[in-house]
Amino acid sequence: MILLESHNTIIQTVLAEKFSKPSSLDEHFVDYDGVRFRLSTPERKTLLRLSMNIRCWDQLAQYGAQQILEREYGTYLLPEAEPEYSVTLEFDTEKVPAEGAARDALIKSAALLKRIALGAPFELAFKNALALESGGSPPNATELMQIHYRDEEAIFVQAASDRVTVVFSTVFREEADRIFGKVFLQEFVDARRQPSIQTAPQVLFTAKEPPLEIRSAAGLKNSDDIGYVTFVIFPRHYNKPDVQNSTISHIQLFRSYLHYHIKCSKAYMRSRMRHRVAEFQKVLNRAKTEVATTERKTASGRTLVTR
Amino acid sequence: MVRPYLDCNSHALRPYLAAVRSTLTAALTLENFASQVVERHNKPEVEAQSSREVLLNPLVISRNENERVLIEPSVNSVRLSIKIKQADEIERALCAKFMRFMMVRAENFIVLRRKPVPGYDISFLITNSHTETMLKHKIVDFIIQFMEDVDREISEMKLSLNARARVVAETYLTVFG
Amino acid sequence: MAAPEVFTIAQVPLTAHAFNADRSKLITSLNTNEAQIYGRQGNEWKPEVTLSEHDKLITSIDWAPNSNRIVTASQDRNAYVWSQTTGADGNSVWKPTLVLLRINRAATYVRWSPKEDKFAVASGARAIAVCSFDADNDWWVSRLLKKPIRSTVLSVDWHPNNVLLAAGTADMKARVFSAYIKDVDSRPSPSVWGEKLPFNTICGEYASPAGGWVHSVAFSPSGDVLAFASHDSTISIVYPGGPAVITVRNSTLPYVSLTWTSEDALVAAGHDCQPVLFSGSAEGWKAIGSLDDAKSGAPLTPVSTGSSSGGRFASAGVGRLGTNEAFARFRNADTLGKSSATPGSPVSGGDSSGDTELMTVHQNTITSVRPYEISANGNVAKVSTSGVDGKLVIWNVSVPAGTGGLSSRLGGMHLR
Repeated sequence: MILLESHNTIIQTVLAEKFSKPSSLDEHFVDYDGVRFRLSTPERKTLLRLSMNIRCWDQLAQYGAQQILEREYGTYLLPEAEPEYSVTLEFDTEKVPAEGAARDALIKSAALLKRIALGAPFELAFKNALALESGGSPPNATELMQIHYRDEEAIFVQAASDRVTVVFSTVFREEADRIFGKVFLQEFVDARRQPSIQTAPQVLFTAKEPPLEIRSAAGLKNSDDIGYVTFVIFPRHYNKPDVQNSTISHIQLFRSYLHYHIKCSKAYMRSRMRHRVAEFQKVLNRAKTEVATTERKTASGRTLVTR
Repeated sequence: MVRPYLDCNSHALRPYLAAVRSTLTAALTLENFASQVVERHNKPEVEAQSSREVLLNPLVISRNENERVLIEPSVNSVRLSIKIKQADEIERALCAKFMRFMMVRAENFIVLRRKPVPGYDISFLITNSHTETMLKHKIVDFIIQFMEDVDREISEMKLSLNARARVVAETYLTVFG
Repeated sequence: MAAPEVFTIAQVPLTAHAFNADRSKLITSLNTNEAQIYGRQGNEWKPEVTLSEHDKLITSIDWAPNSNRIVTASQDRNAYVWSQTTGADGNSVWKPTLVLLRINRAATYVRWSPKEDKFAVASGARAIAVCSFDADNDWWVSRLLKKPIRSTVLSVDWHPNNVLLAAGTADMKARVFSAYIKDVDSRPSPSVWGEKLPFNTICGEYASPAGGWVHSVAFSPSGDVLAFASHDSTISIVYPGGPAVITVRNSTLPYVSLTWTSEDALVAAGHDCQPVLFSGSAEGWKAIGSLDDAKSGAPLTPVSTGSSSGGRFASAGVGRLGTNEAFARFRNADTLGKSSATPGSPVSGGDSSGDTELMTVHQNTITSVRPYEISANGNVAKVSTSGVDGKLVIWNVSVPAGTGGLSSRLGGMHLR
């Protein structure tokens, strides 16, 4: 698996199962970026509730997330979310569409809850950009939108008449992560030189220094372990609704995608090192004479060494 | 016996490893030597550094400014430290990771020192008890093989990291179309 | 010529070895604080008696041939003299007598004097204890040779006149001392080493050519020549009358032990894992060749495996499978990464191609070389060696003619 999926598989499978065979449940689970979900049947087993807690809900709501959720989920969206959660959807399994394409579509859209909520600022930016392009001047159209979706990391979105700029700030906790991250990001920058990818958004990468677009934002850290990735998204990526939709799905997973692959690389390095160390061990074992190979171990597994 | 090595400088590697092999073989002429300083003690003199006359001159074998081996012989122990080639930040990080990985397993590598000597990436401490329980020419084989493989392993890890990064970046960007 | 007799006494180092007068018994220490006496039965050495009194590693052992007494030296700073007496049950037992060495560091080397009324103990206390028996008090007393030793004494050797003592030390010098003890020794006749010899007279001091620890010293049978081996891979032969020091520089690893076989030949052995014969005179010395030569007759298979002393050797294995060849093969593949291919087929793949094999009988450093058999003309015909690899080997002192003995076998260990 190279690309990540934007829907939540747990929601998808559980809903599919419960819609056909209702039973009571209360499950908590999480997704990327500290998003918490709860699937429960608080009243009766045919009334299924899906709640989501997302850290940056206030900011998302400010950029129109509530309206987008209403548009997307209609009556399934409860006006008041469960306590401790940002959004709650409620499904009456007796009233959901019959098995078939319609039900699958509903399940799929519920599984995309996080994606849809997080898509709000992007959608707003694209709308503003298109409006600016066609000569309009919506209020606050070029406002720098900030979504602090993780403790120290944020997404910045800004619309302009000919583009939308998306900046990710991302923190590399370990030195190795930082170096690996740099290798990956450099490839993102370089990949666009390939003829087949030339139409992709332009990618810029700066370590330490925040890029010009977001210098105005408050609370930016200026430290070694932070990196900024700027995507310049051109109208071709948002001027058609279906393309725009896929762009949003894709761009908001960028950070997870990057860190997922850094972790994969580290795991791969470890497995390589483990193999190599085992090989070294064998070479060293060849030096041991028979007696030395029967080593004595203590209860805790440490080797006794006589000097 | 030097194995084929995938490196543009392979012609320079051969004499380097041969020099390390000869020097280490000569240095591994150890005997059981009780401390003359502390009563009833017997410790590696190269670590104790308490009797000057039982220490031999330390020797540095350098392949280039970034790759060298320090061999510190003494009457009952030899300390061998390796500075591994690190061309850039990535190799530095990979090397540090790899060496740390090995050193936390020092128990299995009985000749491995848990900390490298300052200025080097990894150190081995071979004492007379090691040359008594192991064939010393095979210990030399181990060190040489380690030096050969560690360079190759690090450059292969770096290549694989770059390759992965490229695939990851291209896959991601292709989706935008 | 006959092949050397190879005995695998153990899989652990033999730190020292000595034979009794008729060579029917062997005493050695298996790198522990105990000394083990073996008796020869046919082609095997059977363990007989364990001498345990030391509490640290035994470094050196000597067996006086005529008085049948054993002396052991250890890193616990002590030496014991063992004499055989008849125990309460009628069996003979070895009774230890502690020697008051008056040293506070490890004892490193011990040798009986030719008359067996004294012995010298080298030590890490920068001193040599010369011990003699005090009949009045029924114990061994010692006098210390201290000046001008500045480091651990690694070896000693007695002059045939029972008075002079040579010592090799880690301060890179070989020295000849007088170990004259008034009540024990009669006044020695003048020799090339001097005339008046009160205790601690320094009769000679010789630095090793390139500054190496002097591992071994030995007087020639006449006592007029001294040889010493040092860590700079040299053998030096001292003619005090000369006064000349002849140095043989070797391209091998250092020798740690040497013994004269005649007035003009000696055998040296050490880290190179093979005994080498040197020969010469005051005009010059050179290496003749290795006693260890693969072409010398029968294949060098071990004559015996010490014995079954408590399963100390060999791979005990896991249960019944331990002796199974297939099991051993797969286990080796797992732990050693060796694809122990069938004999004859070349090993494929790079895994084991970096292996160095030693073509010598001893697979590790030789710790000690001693005369074993004296021929009718007074020359040493056979020498014995003990090694870190646990082997005891008895060699004929001759280098097969027509073979490049030395050069052909040295490839294993040094510069390539």
